[in-house]
Formats: sequence, C-alpha cells, structure tokens
Amino acid sequence: MSIGRSGISLRFDWIGLLFACLLTLFIALPLVVVGTWAFTEVWRYPSVIPQQFGLRFWGQTLARPDVWEALLLSLRLTTTVTILSAVICLPAAYAFARMRFPGRNILFLSFLASHAFPKFGLLVAIAGIFLQLGLISTFWGVVLIQLVGTLMLMIWIPVAAFQNVDRRMEEAARDAGATPLRVFWSITLPQAAPTISAALLLTFVGTFYETEGAWLIGAPEIRTMPVLMISFINNQIVVQYGAVLSVMLWVPSFIALMFARRVVGTGAFARGFGA
Amino acid sequence: MSTDTAPAALRRHRTIHRRGAIGLLLVALPVFLLAWLIIFPIFSAVVGTIFVPGADGAREFSLASYRFFFTDGYSLANLWVTLWTTAVCGILLLAIGLPIALYLRFSQGRLAAYVQGLAIFPMFVPSIILAYALIRTIGPNGTVDLLLNSIGLPKLRTPYLTPWGPVIGLVWDNLPLTVLMLTAGLSSVSNSAIEAARDVGARPLRVFISIILPRMGNSLLVTASFAVLGIFSAFTLPYVLGPASPEMMGPFMQRTFADMNDPLNAMTQAVITFGFCLVFGILYIRSIARNPETRP
Repeated sequence: MSIGRSGISLRFDWIGLLFACLLTLFIALPLVVVGTWAFTEVWRYPSVIPQQFGLRFWGQTLARPDVWEALLLSLRLTTTVTILSAVICLPAAYAFARMRFPGRNILFLSFLASHAFPKFGLLVAIAGIFLQLGLISTFWGVVLIQLVGTLMLMIWIPVAAFQNVDRRMEEAARDAGATPLRVFWSITLPQAAPTISAALLLTFVGTFYETEGAWLIGAPEIRTMPVLMISFINNQIVVQYGAVLSVMLWVPSFIALMFARRVVGTGAFARGFGA
Repeated sequence: MSTDTAPAALRRHRTIHRRGAIGLLLVALPVFLLAWLIIFPIFSAVVGTIFVPGADGAREFSLASYRFFFTDGYSLANLWVTLWTTAVCGILLLAIGLPIALYLRFSQGRLAAYVQGLAIFPMFVPSIILAYALIRTIGPNGTVDLLLNSIGLPKLRTPYLTPWGPVIGLVWDNLPLTVLMLTAGLSSVSNSAIEAARDVGARPLRVFISIILPRMGNSLLVTASFAVLGIFSAFTLPYVLGPASPEMMGPFMQRTFADMNDPLNAMTQAVITFGFCLVFGILYIRSIARNPETRP
C-alpha cells in the first residue's frame, strides 16, 4: 500500500514539474518581455537581448501631458467609484448577512445572477440608455457604468466577512450594556475590516483598469489610463511608451493586490461566481 | 393566550416587522442600481430593437434590424468567428484548467503552491497590459520569433491579428477563474471516496471517471457557462489582438455604436449576443440558485 502511495506521489511530482515549467513559459514570458522593453533603449531584431538598456523612455513618458491627465482622471474616477460603492454596498452587505427581510434570498441571488449576461452586450444596452440621458462622454456616466461592475464584488465579499464575525463577542458586549451601534463599531467592524479592505482594494484596482465601459461610455472626452494604453498600442509611436506605462501602473497595483490575495485564493471567492 | 402575553407577542411581531423594513431599506439602493442598470437596459434593448420609430415618429413593430443582421454577410462572419473563438477557448480552458485543478486538489508542497500561484497570477494582470505584452511576445519580430531564430528555427506565422490572437489572450486571461472554480468544485469530492476506490484497486483514470467526474458535473457546467459568457462578448483582447475583419461581436458592437454612430444596430447585435448566451445564462443562474453555498 505504502509503495503504491509513494509511486503516485512520485508521479504527481513529475506532473507538478511539467505544469510549473509550462505555466512559467505561458504566464511569465509575456510579462518578462514587457518588463524588459520598459528598460530598453535599443532592441533590434534578431538580437535576443536588447542592445542598450536605459531609463530614457521613462523620462519621455513621464514628460507627456496626456499621461498625467489620464492618470489624474483615472485616480479621481477610481476614488469616486470606490467610495460610492462602499457607501452603497456595505450597508446592504450587512443587511444580507445579518437581517431577515422579505425577498432576501432572491435579491441576493440576483446580484450573483448579474454575471449571467455577456458583459459587453450589456454595456452596449446601457450605453443606449445613457445616450438618451446625455451621460455618454461624461465623468458621471463612466462612474455609473463602473459602479455596476463593482456591485457584486462589494456585496459578496463583505457578506462573507460579516458572517464570519464571532457572534458570542457581540452578545457579550450587548449583555454588558453596549448599544447596537457601539457593538457594530467596536466589535463587528474591526473583525470584518481585513476582508472588507481586501474587497475595497480589489474594487479600486479593478476600477482603475476597467477598459471596456470606460471606453464605450467615456470616449472621446474621458480618457482613462487603459484607454490611453489602447491608443498607445494602436498608434505604436514608440514601443517603450506602452511598456513604461504598463510597468509604472501595474507594479504598485500588483503589490496592493497581493494583500488581497488571501481573499482571492480561498474557495469563497470562486463560490462568489457560483462555483 | 393570557392577556399580558398578547401585547408582548405583538411587540415582538412589530420588532421583526421593523427589522425587516430596515433590511429592505439598506439593500434598496444597490437593488435599484441593479434594476436600473442591468435589468432595465436588457428589456429596453429588446423592446427598442423590435418597436422602432417609424416615419411619423410613432413606434411601430419591425424586425428590420434583425433581418439585416441575419442577411448581412459581414455580420454573419463576425457571429461565426465569435462562436468559433468561444468554442475553442471554452474547450482549451477546460482542457488546461481541469488537469491543473486535479493536480492542485491532490498535491501539497512547494511545487503545488508555485503551480497554484502561477495559475491564479493572470487575475492580477489587467487585460490591457496583457494585450500589450502579448503583442511584444507573439507579434511579428516578437520574443518568440527572436528565440526561434536564435536556435536556428524559421519564424512561425504570428497568431497576432488572426483569430488565434484573441484565443491565446482569452485563455491566458480566463485561466485563473477556471482553475479556482474547478478547484472549488473538486473540494466537494471527499478523500474517503477516492481512498475507497483506490483501495479496491482503481487506477487514477478510473477514479477520475467513476468517482470525481460525476461529483463535479455542476462545477464543470458553471465554469463552462462563466467562460462562455465572458468570452462571447469580450472586447479588449479581441480588439487589440484580433483581426480587423471579421471581428468578434465585442469590437463589432463597439464600432457600430461609437464609430458608425448606429445605436439601433449595435443594440440589435447586443440582443443577439444575449440570445446566443441565453442557454448558458440560464444554466448559470439555475446552478447558483441551487447551490446552498451561494446563499448568505
């Protein structure tokens, strides 16, 4: 029996090694390439490594006014969406997690069911309504469209956070004479806070990089960073501009996202999509 | 019932009633947004493309925009390339994701953690950065060409700007959720069932077919539905990596809406994508409604 087990585990190691090698090639290679381009001044075919490394294009990219305009707009937009979605969704998440009210299950499932439609088709349908309301190409039009994208995430993850709060501590505080608001502020919120901040982080970064709604609703007036990236890719002025922009914008958000990894890595996140 | 317990019951009833009202009030705003920005646009698109403004301004029943779509060669070619891309990506995602998820379910240690980290990693990479990175990697004179040339092999015909460009990008982008959802599904397969099958001499393939597969049918269905719904109307990756003609439904809808300034036909295309995704949408909703884990 033990021979059989070790035989299996030995074979699984080889499979693991195979997966590790293939995934490294498939996942990491494109990212290494874009990282290399950002620090390259000259790289001509067919040289495998760049002829000249340097930071010249960082200076040039950072000197472009359109980059700064897009960055400031993206930050303003993302902050607005994150704050609004927290204000709108967190009370709802608390209600879904803790209160009994008519239609609770069906309303909660309807948030999950919002994934059941092809996203860009839905965006076009919304754009049709925004066109009649004069919201196309406006800041608030883009805020609204991005708010829709964050609804599910900002409800589903905090619901799980509020459910995991230790009820006995809340009851103890209530027995000691604390008011419901005091219990929420001093007991419930601190315990749910790490997961809620992960949801806020995911919302912030997700909104920052949202491209489809921002372009369909925002163009041509509202040019966020991803929309600017698309124009860099299409016009191909200088290869390095796009590479520098990618590294500059992705590294900080990548570090931020790693803090939210605990939430993403668990089965609970996948279950939020109905798995 | 005695006279003094009646008011207590009434009070309790009122408290429950009030808490219910507060609960409804707290969820009202997101529910309103959901209704206004998801449910209403869908109905509005369906109604608006069937009842169109006539010559006198009054709305009248007409299926002209649908007739145009289904008789226009270019629209049909776009629909076809979208169906093809969705099918190929769906099959590739399950073919790549399922072995990885199976491996992760039964392995521990550093190598498994590394494989899991890599498989989930694309979730942290925005698709616009991925699109840019893939152009530099698989595009003409990209890194793949450089590497092939350095070992004396001829250039490959680049998949960039062909229907295979979006396939590579979409598989890359959708791999994390596929693996996460399949791993979540596999976690419901108990160790004891597998051990029991192994003890009676079942080989790994037999264990997979007889024990694992029947228990994760729902999970496979949700994963496949989710992938199909995401890929069918994908925009960024097909727009940047795919061919200009025929194009996938996402870029086609964007161009019709914004560049051609033709909302009616763009909405018709959107309703047609809803129609093609309807089965997967229903399967998705049915399985989350049945799944006790997706309830608060």
